[in-house]
Amino acid sequence: MVLIIQDIVNGILLGTMYGTAAIGLSLVFGTMRIVFIAQGSVIVFFAYLCYWLFHLLGVDPYLSLILIVPVALLLGAAFYYGLFKEAAALKDRIGSLLIAVGLMFFLENLMTVVWTPNPRAVVTSYGFYAFNLFGINLTLTRLIGLLIAILATLGVFIFLTKTLIGTAVRATSEDVEASTLMGINPDRVNAVAFAIGIGLAAIAGINFASTYSFDPIYGFDVALKALIALTLGGIGTVYGALLGGIILGVIETLGVYFVGSAWAQAICYAVFFLTLTLRPNGLFGRTS
Amino acid sequence: MKNNINFPEQSSSARDPSNLLKSFMPLKFQRKHINITVIVLAVIAFGTLPFYVNVDSFFAYYLFICFLYIILAQGWNLVAGYTGQISLGTHAFFALGAYTTAIIWLHNITHTWYYFDPLVMVLSGVVPAIFAIIIGIPTLSRLRGDYFSFGTLAAAEILRIVILRGGKFTEGAMGLRLPGTGFTTMGIYYWTALLLAVLATAAVYFITRSRIGLALKAINEDETSAASHGIHILQYKVFAFAIGSFITGICGSLYAYYLFMINPLAVMNLNWMFLPILICVLGGNGTVLGPIIGAFVIGALFSYGDVLLGQVHPMLSGILIILVMKFLPTGLVGLKDRISHRR
Repeated sequence: MVLIIQDIVNGILLGTMYGTAAIGLSLVFGTMRIVFIAQGSVIVFFAYLCYWLFHLLGVDPYLSLILIVPVALLLGAAFYYGLFKEAAALKDRIGSLLIAVGLMFFLENLMTVVWTPNPRAVVTSYGFYAFNLFGINLTLTRLIGLLIAILATLGVFIFLTKTLIGTAVRATSEDVEASTLMGINPDRVNAVAFAIGIGLAAIAGINFASTYSFDPIYGFDVALKALIALTLGGIGTVYGALLGGIILGVIETLGVYFVGSAWAQAICYAVFFLTLTLRPNGLFGRTS
Repeated sequence: MKNNINFPEQSSSARDPSNLLKSFMPLKFQRKHINITVIVLAVIAFGTLPFYVNVDSFFAYYLFICFLYIILAQGWNLVAGYTGQISLGTHAFFALGAYTTAIIWLHNITHTWYYFDPLVMVLSGVVPAIFAIIIGIPTLSRLRGDYFSFGTLAAAEILRIVILRGGKFTEGAMGLRLPGTGFTTMGIYYWTALLLAVLATAAVYFITRSRIGLALKAINEDETSAASHGIHILQYKVFAFAIGSFITGICGSLYAYYLFMINPLAVMNLNWMFLPILICVLGGNGTVLGPIIGAFVIGALFSYGDVLLGQVHPMLSGILIILVMKFLPTGLVGLKDRISHRR
């Protein structure tokens, strides 16, 4: 019983990482209808940057947030203006999907060349520190990860609801044409959405690096998980994506406990498939 | 004969030298017969190639890979190019085809021991087609195309795990090893691949020129409008998806006969999903000629790139995908139109 509760807790903590990635996907998909399949590879890329900062310069992973997140925001805007600007304007979305695929290919192989395909991990002095609460182990890094994920979600939520440009982002994801008629510049909104998406990928990457080991090919897996979390939560809500991620994390860890890791993945994809066919708006999404 | 009269040329098209040439020919002869002549000549040229080029050379292998890519791309082209449904599960159908061939062979189900048994190859196409119908009906009944893309991806990942955990039946990650020794020469593979590439292209050509093809194009243009004109959308989409998967499955079967080692890493690689997309989009999505051009270009880049550049080449192919999509969104076939429009 304790083991199951331990699994649920671990699942929640794992799920927050999927959730953070899913919010980024949700913003990009909501405004531009781009399935940014490279999100996972970008996350792993930032995990590697964090690894480098830690090993070469001795920067603490959580301190490197201050360095990496601004870089990520700029990179996100650069991705939009450099790669996706023309494709986002087209009705045909295969172009943007393929650019994302190309980016994923490029990043995966770049990372394989630069950092070799061997798994890496950021091992900090406090990495194994854990609290024991009623017999349940709570790793410090995972708790910090949860905290950062919740803070990031709150930050994005406040940004989207309280600021003018955030409102514009929400308006664009509701209805692109109407928002353009209202005088919203779609380019700027899309660039902001992309920047936040990549920024969240950086946060997820650092959480990932400080808790798990990673290798270059792992990105696609993470992107798929983020996509599942997104469909579970429903496209268009920030908290929905986070909750979707948490549900997915719990399903995955419980699946590993009961049927083994390979079938647990199959269960995740089955949940994905069933959600798509039975509840396409997600569990928390708006019903159209 | 009414058709033989040369109509006065429009001022804009008169400047085009090819139109000038055409105006000397009987109208009826013009496009169709030239096309048929070119196609027949190309097929004869490729068919007789093994007689004067060493068939075991790298060049012949490259052509074999190109034919394989053409089959794969035509299957995807029918679903995505003409119907507008982006399938992300091609690798699953490819693997299903390969595994069907391997399992039939290993268990000697059809009692045929020779290679490229048409019955086995057709069965290897039928199994993916049935799989396509099963996952196509729930995913294609949604109006939005994204659900289909995600659904096929999810189904493919489930299939990957089923194959990996298949126990004795699929031998998991080790894969199946076929008992045959294979041919000592590429010749038979080359001709079979060529034949199948021609058949796949012909199938796509005739389907898209038929009534079904018109319906598929109508669905691609505007689903609501197509439905209001009495086209049963789901039926046509599932049909196209099943035929596309059938072609993909046969391609997988051909690859199984070539490889002799069927394991998830070889046949369920994500490359088998991205390759047809890349080939179709580079060549020109929704055209018959596009996938053929795309297959030759991508085949050259991938097989020669692998030899010449080694580890760096997948990185370059990523950049290539981005560049093509950014600067050539209509593909190489569309390039001709873009140039002629600019004039």
